[in-house]
Amino acid sequence: MTPFSRRNVLLALLAAAILLPPFANVYQLFVANLIVIYVLLAIGLNILVGYAGQLAFANAAMFGIGAYATGLLQVQLGWSFWAAFPCGALIAAVVGLALSLPALRLSGLYLALSTLAFAQATQWVFLHWESVTFGAGGFKTPPLSFAPLPVDKPLGLYYLSLALAVALFLFAHNLVASRVGRAFVAVRDGEVAAESLGVDLLRTKALAFGISGFYAGVAGGLYSAMLNFVAPEGFDLFQMVLHKAMIVVGGLGSVVGSVLGAGVIIVLLEVLRAFKGLQEIVFGALLVVFVLFMRGGLIAVIKRHVRGWEEPLRLVQPPPTRPEAAPAQAQAPASVAER
Amino acid sequence: MGIRRALRVAAAVAVTAMVGAMPALAEEPGVTADTIKIGSFGALTGPGYLYGKLVMNGVEAVFDEVNAAGGIHGRKLQLVREDDRCDPAAAIAAVQKLMHQDQVFAMIGGGCSNATFAARDAIETAKVPTVIFASVHDGITVPPAPNIYSTALTSSIESQAQVVFAQQQGAKRIAVVSMRDAWGRARYTPLMEALKAKGITPVADEELSPDANDATAQVLRLKAANADAVIMILYPKPAAVFLRDAYKLGFKPLAVGQSGIADPAAFEEQVGVPGATAMFRTISQVKYTPDDPAMDKWRKLMETKFPGDRLSVYNLFGIGSAQYLVEALKRAGPDLTRAKLIAAFAGIKNFNTDVHPGPLTCSEADHRCHKSPAWLAKEPGGAMKVLGVTTVEN
Amino acid sequence: MLLFSYLLMSGVTTGALYALVALGFVVVNKATGIINFAQGEFFMFAGFVAWMLHVQMGVNYALTFALAVGCGFLLGCLTERIAFRPLAKSDIVSLVLATVGIAFVLRGLARLIWGGKADYLSFPPLTSPDPIMVGNIMVIPQQLAVLAGTVVIMAVFTVFFRRTRAGKMMQATADNAKAALLVGIRTDRIYTLSFGTGAAIAAAAAVLTAPLTLLYPDIGFAFFLKGFAAAVLGGLTSLPGAVLGGLLVGVAESMAGGYIHSSVMELSPFVVIMIVLVLKPSGLLGGRAMRRV
Repeated sequence: MTPFSRRNVLLALLAAAILLPPFANVYQLFVANLIVIYVLLAIGLNILVGYAGQLAFANAAMFGIGAYATGLLQVQLGWSFWAAFPCGALIAAVVGLALSLPALRLSGLYLALSTLAFAQATQWVFLHWESVTFGAGGFKTPPLSFAPLPVDKPLGLYYLSLALAVALFLFAHNLVASRVGRAFVAVRDGEVAAESLGVDLLRTKALAFGISGFYAGVAGGLYSAMLNFVAPEGFDLFQMVLHKAMIVVGGLGSVVGSVLGAGVIIVLLEVLRAFKGLQEIVFGALLVVFVLFMRGGLIAVIKRHVRGWEEPLRLVQPPPTRPEAAPAQAQAPASVAER
Repeated sequence: MGIRRALRVAAAVAVTAMVGAMPALAEEPGVTADTIKIGSFGALTGPGYLYGKLVMNGVEAVFDEVNAAGGIHGRKLQLVREDDRCDPAAAIAAVQKLMHQDQVFAMIGGGCSNATFAARDAIETAKVPTVIFASVHDGITVPPAPNIYSTALTSSIESQAQVVFAQQQGAKRIAVVSMRDAWGRARYTPLMEALKAKGITPVADEELSPDANDATAQVLRLKAANADAVIMILYPKPAAVFLRDAYKLGFKPLAVGQSGIADPAAFEEQVGVPGATAMFRTISQVKYTPDDPAMDKWRKLMETKFPGDRLSVYNLFGIGSAQYLVEALKRAGPDLTRAKLIAAFAGIKNFNTDVHPGPLTCSEADHRCHKSPAWLAKEPGGAMKVLGVTTVEN
Repeated sequence: MLLFSYLLMSGVTTGALYALVALGFVVVNKATGIINFAQGEFFMFAGFVAWMLHVQMGVNYALTFALAVGCGFLLGCLTERIAFRPLAKSDIVSLVLATVGIAFVLRGLARLIWGGKADYLSFPPLTSPDPIMVGNIMVIPQQLAVLAGTVVIMAVFTVFFRRTRAGKMMQATADNAKAALLVGIRTDRIYTLSFGTGAAIAAAAAVLTAPLTLLYPDIGFAFFLKGFAAAVLGGLTSLPGAVLGGLLVGVAESMAGGYIHSSVMELSPFVVIMIVLVLKPSGLLGGRAMRRV
């Protein structure tokens, strides 16, 4: 009898989420919707970083591409939201696929930097390609209507986001237990070994990048509808840090962890409002404390104390992925290379 | 239960229901017999904090002064701050929290342009009277929302003033150097329109990053284009780098600034090269620079309330804006409602604050109350001069 | 030709700023294998401390320099103890996040302490502020000081790594931490030393560049990004590579701005990086990375 098992807790959270709107004021519903969107972002990033082990910093940029694509298809080409949204997500997925190419040659900090460079380049494009993206001032998207359903936009969008989050959660859950998921983990734990076992590196990495791009794109489209406004702020490195924080706090390599992490970080940001100007300091300190004392994230802590939280392919201790290999080149060549 | 007991319970329930259903004293949210809760949103953290936290500090200083004198019609003012980190989503969350959770009566805020613009719809829908104290984005006030008024010089007003000023000073070959962020673009677009309206094509149009440490490339191109006046849509740091490099390369045009660089004395220090700011002229939203003796009273108040801080132009923005809000609250009378406050906003004409160069005038048709940018110049190593006020009609 | 020499000079002087930050990254990475996301904030914080000492309290320049560098060193050691040592066996994302947390704390503290003093704080230069002629172009003397400082620091550390015991111990630890332990090297002390040194370099960079860059609490991020880019470009474990990377980033920016248009300046370093990494995945001067099997 595991009353607090993973399934029960998740179902309870889902029920709470479904029943929330009549009890929440405008602000609280807004925050709840934000949490759901970030759940999508966190799951996508965890698939890429936690499962496939690719240290990528492009998630916030894909989030932005999804938002911009969805918004621009509506504003520039006159499409309806319902057509623009899936296309926007697909565009982000395709961009993600393209990113997997450098990932073949690069790893560790070099991959981190090249994805960071890509993110900066995306930011540059948002700012400078004014004829298409409207530049730094951003643009407003047409108001979304859920006609003929008798719901107003905030409510309708909330339920839409929730439905998508549940669907994509289940997809991710099944994905990581499938062959593809095992391939991800194999690549993370040892590329050469994985290759020798017949795992196609290109395909696997492409899938990982593409899927996380898709998740970020879906989140971006929902975000653009939620704010009715798309601008380059909000897709920068601070955003990226938030995403990373969510997956670390929740637990790398855990889909459920991503859900928890997203919820915790967003709620934390709102709670920290009480600290006014000291927010930065408190947020930073909490981040350090989380990382130091909750090794493996919330999921690891919960697993130690509560029964019923086992997950497929969740290793007890993620292997160190620091590139100890990089300094290996500094042996004999060292004195020569130093010149 | 016996009948008697049931009847007693029913009576108790009925009385409670009647009491509950009685119309509450028609109190507006955020107003009690002795306080008025005013919300403020802007960046408290992140680079935008200059236009958020520092301006709010000025607002609080005014509130303190008013409260010390007994408040407005017996009610003390209370400022509730929320951080929007210059991010559109955080701004929407901040104003929603203020309006729907903290239940403020009115708001005075708005630092970063895009953030405030994103939040405009939420504010308009909730019909909470709001004064914008620093955001320059035109879309916030045009077309006007019934409950939003602004004491900030909007970007189109300043950009037009820049063109008028440059021409008045005899410039024939005007060039532009701008930053490509939301603030910069909010000024760049109306600037280009103002130039086009006067039939002027800029001889060069360069970009400089807000974090730039070197402007050699830009200066060289502007010099090659023989510009005699450069309109700078830059924050103080890139502007300082620009003027330093211009001086180094022997390029000495008329340098036309805007209220982003509102303190010529501080700016001269930032440029760091003596004489480089000789041809620098800038707009100020406020008539005085922080070290002017006329501002002594506010300097004392600010430096006592926020030890370690120095009075800055950003504080002055808040001071002027808060004085406008206080005046409107006074005019709305002791029987305070949001509708009355909004009507009071529209009714303020020719109102002088301690800091603004010209009087504030609002109307129902035009919610931009501040249309008189003042021009400042400073003799390198010498005194500050107010060159005059350009009034912009439109 | 004059245009080219001006652009080159400006690229080199800005590049020197980036190179200084990159040197700090490489020193830390050589021993620990990670990138310290708080490096930009070390730079910023030490700059403010120097301002407080020199401008507010009137301490003379040399002593300010020494104290600021000392303060940087302390910050680095503290970071190592708090964020790195407990997490040494964790995954890299957690490590990165811990240093990010420290970056936020430092930025918030700086904003709290010094943010209300001015929008940008100016710092008097070491030399006279008037531009001087070098060859047939004008330069600002402080920029030459920065350039000189970069070269000196690079030289000092190259000698340090090659000739001193501590330097060799750091290299050994980076090579194979377990083997280093076996040979009797106190690896934990080495880690502390490398973090401290990296931060000290950032502090020295701040004092040299503060007159040119103006101080504000958010200055750290831009330098972090460019410095990280420069370090990776040069090969994360090569000191000359860091300098080369920094100069390359600076010159690319400057040339793009001069010959194409100023709007591509911000983009050009990243384009250069992506091209270089595609062609040489371990950076310009980084050795060929060995793959663990």
